[in-house]
Amino acid sequence: MVQDFNIPPYFEWLPGALSTYLITLGFLALTGLILSFLISAVRNGPMKAGDRIYKVVVSAGVDLARFSPKRVFALARLAVQESVRRRVWVALVVFGVILLFAGWFLEPSGDQADRLSNSDPGKLYINFVLTGTTFLVMLLALFLSAFSLPTDIKNHTIYTIVTKPVRTGEIVLGRILGFTVIGTVMLAVMGAASYLFVGRMLDHTHELTAADLREIPPDPGMPMGGKEGRTALSHNHFHEVTLDAQGNGVTDVRQGHFHRVHAETKDGQTRYIVGPPEDQLVARVPIPVEKKEDFRFLDRSGVQGPGINIGKEWAYRKFLDGGSPMAAIWTFSGITKERFAKGLPLEMNLRVFRTYKGEIADEKKGNRTVGILGSIRLQNPDQPRLKSIGTPFTAKDQVIDKHFIPPVLDREVDGQYKPVGLFKDSIVGAPASESLVTDDGRVDVVLQCLSPSQYLGVANADVYLKLQDGSFAWNFCKGYVSIWLQMLLVIGFGVMFSTFLGGPIAMLATAAMGMLGFFTEDVGNLFRAVIRGETKLFPGGGPLESMIRIAGQNTITLDLEKSLGVRVVQAIDAGIMVFMKAAVDLVPSFKDFDNIRYIADGFDIPAVRLLEQATVGFGFILALFLVGHLFLRMREVAN
Amino acid sequence: MVTEAAVATPIKPAAADTIVETRNLSKVYRDFWGRQKVRALKALDLTVHRGEIFGLLGPNGSGKTTTIKLLLGLLFPTTGQALVFGKDATDVSKNERLGFLPEESYLYRFLNAEETLDFYGRLFNMPSSVRRRRTAELIDMVGLNWAKRRQLREYSKGMTRRIGLAQALINDPELIVLDEPTSGLDPIGTREMKDLILKLQSQGKTIIMCSHLLADVQDVCDRIAILHQGELKELGRVDSLLRVKDVTQIKASGLSDDAKAEIRAVIERHNGHVDSMDNPTNTLEDLFLSIVRDSEARPGKRAPHNRD
Repeated sequence: MVQDFNIPPYFEWLPGALSTYLITLGFLALTGLILSFLISAVRNGPMKAGDRIYKVVVSAGVDLARFSPKRVFALARLAVQESVRRRVWVALVVFGVILLFAGWFLEPSGDQADRLSNSDPGKLYINFVLTGTTFLVMLLALFLSAFSLPTDIKNHTIYTIVTKPVRTGEIVLGRILGFTVIGTVMLAVMGAASYLFVGRMLDHTHELTAADLREIPPDPGMPMGGKEGRTALSHNHFHEVTLDAQGNGVTDVRQGHFHRVHAETKDGQTRYIVGPPEDQLVARVPIPVEKKEDFRFLDRSGVQGPGINIGKEWAYRKFLDGGSPMAAIWTFSGITKERFAKGLPLEMNLRVFRTYKGEIADEKKGNRTVGILGSIRLQNPDQPRLKSIGTPFTAKDQVIDKHFIPPVLDREVDGQYKPVGLFKDSIVGAPASESLVTDDGRVDVVLQCLSPSQYLGVANADVYLKLQDGSFAWNFCKGYVSIWLQMLLVIGFGVMFSTFLGGPIAMLATAAMGMLGFFTEDVGNLFRAVIRGETKLFPGGGPLESMIRIAGQNTITLDLEKSLGVRVVQAIDAGIMVFMKAAVDLVPSFKDFDNIRYIADGFDIPAVRLLEQATVGFGFILALFLVGHLFLRMREVAN
Repeated sequence: MVTEAAVATPIKPAAADTIVETRNLSKVYRDFWGRQKVRALKALDLTVHRGEIFGLLGPNGSGKTTTIKLLLGLLFPTTGQALVFGKDATDVSKNERLGFLPEESYLYRFLNAEETLDFYGRLFNMPSSVRRRRTAELIDMVGLNWAKRRQLREYSKGMTRRIGLAQALINDPELIVLDEPTSGLDPIGTREMKDLILKLQSQGKTIIMCSHLLADVQDVCDRIAILHQGELKELGRVDSLLRVKDVTQIKASGLSDDAKAEIRAVIERHNGHVDSMDNPTNTLEDLFLSIVRDSEARPGKRAPHNRD
């Protein structure tokens, strides 16, 4: 899953973000002023330089006050007309052609030997169309925005604009607005086409005939009998089906979906009808744990400790050793009777790590294959002894598995099973102190692996509660909004750079911003760690401290002795890093705008995430607009 | 024989108020490193009054276009000041009352004539009714009604020039700056452009034009400044600059040879000297225009040859 824990509410997030924004903007303004003063002073002397900069800043401010929306719209309209007459819609044709032939190359498991592959083709198609749209639209935005203004300046058409009462800010904003309109239309068309493409590629059914089914021998678990079998192959997969005596039932979950099956008897002949795929294009709204600390592991001896690393480089998931007290515990909060009266709808997306091949059978169950077993139980976070007995289940690798936990469970007291309720009044007459959920609405979900020497992999976000599904179409739209925001940023940077650079250079600079944007998060975290003195995740300190360490051949994992000199050096490092961090913050982190994984994995994009992305996006556009306005104001367009 | 200038009707400025003023205006072009490349304009002092047609004359590279660009705020002065309507030339608000026709008509070639004028009208925040009326009037005035729906990329140079002039007039400006207004125009277009400039002046507008076509400047300008290598070499009224004070010109028609001889005798009696006495010739422009007009009046026939 993509979302690790709850995103903080908007107004808790805003003050911090705003202060970062203002610091960065201040840094930019200060650096800009100093640089332009130095350059101008070299050319004209310090007095005249000061006078000029004062005049430019004042006139730029006055121009902003005289801003006219009508002129901005006129210029935006021009940008739209320009794009249309330059046949920008060819990009749509390209996209259409790509979609037409994409099906040929996007077989989720085209290899015959791989027919039983369980990978979800929905994920593949969604990833493909969204990534494709993003790249195409970015490329379009890049070319349109970076070349338009330089072309105007080169062709001198700008002369007839700037000799009208047009403020430079209006030129910049008009361009940004115009290209955004074009991009929005293109994106909307591509979005609609993509939606249809994904829907059509995934829609399928399977044939199921009486010959494919066999009777299930009577079993205490299924006294009425029934049928089981396998559907015909379609879209490179088949399903195992289990039907009741009437011939109704569901298939297993394969490639992320299942089908409902029902039987129709006509003229003495029974036909089995397999319905459309279900649970495929969904937007789950998960309720994860609130904080990082709400997820923890117990080690093999049953005390709190780390999970096991089975040797994967990506240490996101930790593993539980089977048949030991090792467990993963999630403490969910906000569990009230009003919300969860019927029980806890739990979903799990686990990883199964097997240490040997072959089918794992259970002697107790007549040697039927049971696979790797796990168990789930609930416990009261304040009274860990108040816990339900574990419910065993067969763990499925990389499949979202649903477990509904009823409001009344069993617990073991002195070797006997006794009922225990989720909430205080779940069982009439139960003691007031006995409920699995605490008074403030917290409950522990404990996961263990039961199969000895096998492993279950989990991460914070792999187990969550789910009350409802959002609309997939709306989620798809939200995904496009985040692509739209990224396009807006590219247009903003393109236009801003083109106010003082030539077309190809402006394009390169914008593309460079886009690429840098994928690394800013990591680099920014490093700088922040130095500023805050967090040496655990990023050991070694800032540039000066690192140099001292190199000279003294000190290892980076040990803290230096806190002498006066070291303190001074660390303070200087922190000071340098404030500026470095501000410089990094000038580049938007494009990773933060990426919501494709949410849609592909079938999770609803939280509205607050989108709101925060939009705030950051528009913050950047405002800054880019101001910078562009100032640059164009300072520029001699005829030189 | 040098003749007195007798074309442009001298119109006295309605009021002596100053529309454009430059004080010690200089421009030095520099390279990327700030090193001086060219000194394009040296300490120019000029004043242009309301209602006059002011010509900037000079060979290529003399600083005419630089002066105009400085007046429009397209370039920033290295030293000195350029004031338009009493405001600094870099102040955008001056553009409300200004129209500019650039040397080449730098317009958006993907727009048609109507869209072009509508777009520039929008830049002045004109209401749509005014914009429509003004667009129709101007297209009519420059004679492009037949081609108003064609994209400018299909226009000939002369047509582009006309639509360029129309966009300069969209806001009914008080000051019109024309950079080489007649370049690219055929003789008829040139004549029409000159007539239009005079008509604009009669409406009380101030016009600054620069050109190296001396005949055009002589035909329309009240005052001229001659620039060379960035320096102002001459400034004054065209008629007084061109007047040859010690030569008298008499124009008469219907004189017999005897009468001509008598006049010659009178001049010599007064110690004057007859430099030449012959029949005047038309200018080629006059000849061309009259042929075209005849041809328009009688299409299909060859123009008569009875001119001598």
